[in-house]
Amino acid sequence: MATAAATPPRGGLPEEIVIWEILVCLPPKSLLRCRAVCRAWRSTTSARDFLAAHHARQPNLPIVFQEYHGGQSLLALDNRGAAAAQLQPVARLDDDSSLEASCDGLLLLTDYGRGVPRFSVCNPATRQFACLPMLSGFVPLALGMYRHGPTGEYRVLVCLRDEDPATDACYIFALGSTHPLKNIGWLPEMDEMCSTGLVPVLFRGSLHWHIQQDESAAKVIMVFDTTAELFRRMRGPVVPCSDGLFAGMFEMDGILGMACSNDEGKIVGIWMMQDYESEVWTLKYRFELPFEEIKMQCDMRQARVKRGHMLIAVVPGGDGELLVLSRFDDCLFQINMDGKLVESFHREDLCLTQLQLKQTLALHTFFPALEGYVVNAPPFS
Amino acid sequence: MATREAGKKMIMLKSPDGMEFEVEEAVAMESQTIRKMIEDDCADTAILIPNINSKILSRVIEYCNKHVPTTGATGAAASDTVAPAALAEDLKIWDAEFIKVNRATRFDLIQAASYLNIKGLLDLTSQTTIDTISDNSLEEIRSFLSTKNDYLPEEEQTIRRENQWAFQ
Repeated sequence: MATAAATPPRGGLPEEIVIWEILVCLPPKSLLRCRAVCRAWRSTTSARDFLAAHHARQPNLPIVFQEYHGGQSLLALDNRGAAAAQLQPVARLDDDSSLEASCDGLLLLTDYGRGVPRFSVCNPATRQFACLPMLSGFVPLALGMYRHGPTGEYRVLVCLRDEDPATDACYIFALGSTHPLKNIGWLPEMDEMCSTGLVPVLFRGSLHWHIQQDESAAKVIMVFDTTAELFRRMRGPVVPCSDGLFAGMFEMDGILGMACSNDEGKIVGIWMMQDYESEVWTLKYRFELPFEEIKMQCDMRQARVKRGHMLIAVVPGGDGELLVLSRFDDCLFQINMDGKLVESFHREDLCLTQLQLKQTLALHTFFPALEGYVVNAPPFS
Repeated sequence: MATREAGKKMIMLKSPDGMEFEVEEAVAMESQTIRKMIEDDCADTAILIPNINSKILSRVIEYCNKHVPTTGATGAAASDTVAPAALAEDLKIWDAEFIKVNRATRFDLIQAASYLNIKGLLDLTSQTTIDTISDNSLEEIRSFLSTKNDYLPEEEQTIRRENQWAFQ
């Protein structure tokens, strides 16, 4: 071979390619290990620009839970690469804890153990964990977490409620600040937004929540602009009532999408918002799940828990594909857009979430300043 | 050499070791680097591809031929009759065969894909290297990429301890 532009070590690759094509794509744990290979790798992969590029290349991994006696494991479904998809451990939580929000590799957790909910924030990639005592008191419910563009701060949207409904309000806290930044009042939709399991999707700098309105087929989407920090309403797709069970909102290829299923969870419809400005939705796919095949697999495995119904979550799977995850009995199934079964995971007591994890090794300055800051301690060890 | 089809614009690619490859313009334009040259009108007669020898360049062309949309090695009719999912599956199998090469050839392909800016080929060729690095020990990574360990033993121990969980 003729001389290369940058001379690689004999039999190796040019350093620029190693750093910016190979190391930048590594899973966080492998990258941390690679810092011990040589000095150049360590300094380059610790720099801010590299960490930003690394985070950008990380996939959005769907998060699932596995409950066991006395606690629960938080797992990420990794279906990248040639190898079969696998469930990677992310964190271990106790029975009373729950995952409230996920943003840029940070997870917001709540512990309901001692009567008053206590919030905490963690980064599974760096194994940093810290408490957020400023969110305690009242009965706070987290609506979402986002990065506030103008300040670069990570902020949490929480509803504070006590016995008097007149004092219900939604507040904005910055991670690291002790007082709320703003009280943005109360909207009637917030009742439903507070309900567990409803996860907003970040799209075009705004958080989007789907609001189920039982009496009409038309859906409403609540939009929170993360720069102006204001709420507005947006039109959702008109879904036939029989197919109106919400199965997830997502962003795919720069388009906002929503998945609905019918009551038995056997038919899935994928709606895409073709025109964001004029709020026009179209039905892109409608397919039947391979229910008989799923049922047969569960029977063969003699699943211990018979729930006998399907739970569905639709999340983006990277590569411009959607992942349809379906739980039936004790198995989790991955199904493609043709309704074909791709993969099955047999683990006891798996629970689906709408949340995803896009890992980061960036070191946020707010962490060390927070109360109870620890590294490589529970929930990571 | 590629057969000339009516109405298809052909382009000549030259490797530094003097070989010439006649390819369809659409195939050559799978490379963003060549696309830019063509669009900037810098490609009248033949394009000299520096740094990439004929053995590697012919493999790169083989890849582009297979991956150019609608036409390509399977023939123009294939995409009309075969479902997109089946085509994608066929490409996956073809890619898996294509990448069964030794380490030196794979590294040459990575560098060629990077220089010619062919995203699909770069992703394909670097993924196996990414997998190797993810799974192996530090010593194996160093020898795989011919990287020299310039840490003092005690320094390496300190760095290992900093992120000790990553080694478990």
